[in-house]
Amino acid sequence: MVPQARSEITRQKILNAAIDLFSEVGYAAAGLGEIIDRAGMTKGALYHHFDSKEALATAVIEQGTKLTRDAFHRVCESSSPALENMIHGVFVVTNLVVTDKTARTAEQLTRGLADFNDAASQVWSGRLDAMTTQASRASTEGDLQEGLDPSAVSESILNAMLGAQLLTRTEDGDDHIKKLTRSLELLLPAIAVDTSLGYFREFLARESLRHPPGNPSTD
Amino acid sequence: MELTVAAELPWRDAIPPVRRDPDETGRAMTEVSEGRAGTTRQRLIAAASRQFARRSYSMVSLDDILAEAELTKGAMYFHFPSKQALALAIIDDLSEMSRTAVTELLAHRMSGLETLVDFFYLRAVQDTQYELARAGVRLLETLDDTTAVPSTLWQSWIEFVTTLTQKAIAEGDFINQYDPEDIAKILVALWVGMRRISDPEKPELYLDNLQKALILTLPSFTDPDRIGYFTQFIKRRHTVAVKKVSAEALSPDLHTTALSAPTDP
Repeated sequence: MVPQARSEITRQKILNAAIDLFSEVGYAAAGLGEIIDRAGMTKGALYHHFDSKEALATAVIEQGTKLTRDAFHRVCESSSPALENMIHGVFVVTNLVVTDKTARTAEQLTRGLADFNDAASQVWSGRLDAMTTQASRASTEGDLQEGLDPSAVSESILNAMLGAQLLTRTEDGDDHIKKLTRSLELLLPAIAVDTSLGYFREFLARESLRHPPGNPSTD
Repeated sequence: MELTVAAELPWRDAIPPVRRDPDETGRAMTEVSEGRAGTTRQRLIAAASRQFARRSYSMVSLDDILAEAELTKGAMYFHFPSKQALALAIIDDLSEMSRTAVTELLAHRMSGLETLVDFFYLRAVQDTQYELARAGVRLLETLDDTTAVPSTLWQSWIEFVTTLTQKAIAEGDFINQYDPEDIAKILVALWVGMRRISDPEKPELYLDNLQKALILTLPSFTDPDRIGYFTQFIKRRHTVAVKKVSAEALSPDLHTTALSAPTDP
């Protein structure tokens, strides 16, 4: 095997062990020794790739949030109206967080390390930018109520997404989607113009059915 | 109502690659539509697309294409042995364009009927923006008698729409009363027909015709409770599409861009 490919496999094995342990006991309680044991690697191999536990967390955050960022980006590339993209996008991201262990662990780390870790603090500002781009377009498409600040709209929608994450036990993907739906149901009348409201209520109702209750994956 | 993800659709089987020449220079025009003159092959395809988009296959001579491309016969024969080979290459690129569109659409993970409407609008916008797409659909009609390619391509579109129709029935958006393939044939014929009778120089009119046709036809197979939603859904896509075609004029022919672009002093 090519040495570079083997090195990449080693790195990913360590990362997977870290994702497992972080998601089971949390970042603070996870010990490097246990990660090394689980990965079946030596201390030397770990330190070759990651110089600290924080470097491991950064790598998990980068890998997991790339999944959610790419998913949101794909939604926004469509030729759909922007307010649809905003709603569809938060559901697609939430669905990933529910079903994908890497994405979910990255969210947990992002929340816990936001004040201390650059990768973590950039995640939400990046999301806010992406959402605000859509909100500005929704405004020109005439779906947003007049006088609303696109970045304030984006903040509220991301608050709903983050709140649903915080209020839900990770085992309950069904409840997670329901909480998100309820928050957005309440937000919609404040965001959408009256003439678009009926349509977007229905779009939202379909959206929550589009993401059937899923149990978190274990692998 | 159970909605499954669109990504489960066997789209790879639904739209098989028609191209016989998968080399790097044979990419769809979308990828090279900016700026540079591109390769000889691309110049030939672009010139032929311009010609075939405006006149019927039999009216276009190889000399017309070569004059448009400003290339010699020798340069052409290196890439294409005949006019028909050029026409088939255009259809290949068009089908590649469709496949890319389908992959992107399925990644959005919308319901079957939503994906179906999006598919028609995405292709409609491509038809007005790319000479290649415009030429390709015209050529499909002309080449019908001489090669099996057009019927293969029609069939693959019908099969793709059939899978979406089956999904729409399973999700309760379409009533469970008709054969999904019959619905698919009607919808594909409707789209192709609307395209045929609309003036390609007036994309807004084409989109308008398409919108009316969809809004008039869909209620025949759609659950009555959901007709209101889908009428709105179609109107919203229509608005976005109209904005798009009026903002971006027809993608200019490759070599004309390269040759007529003003050079910096």
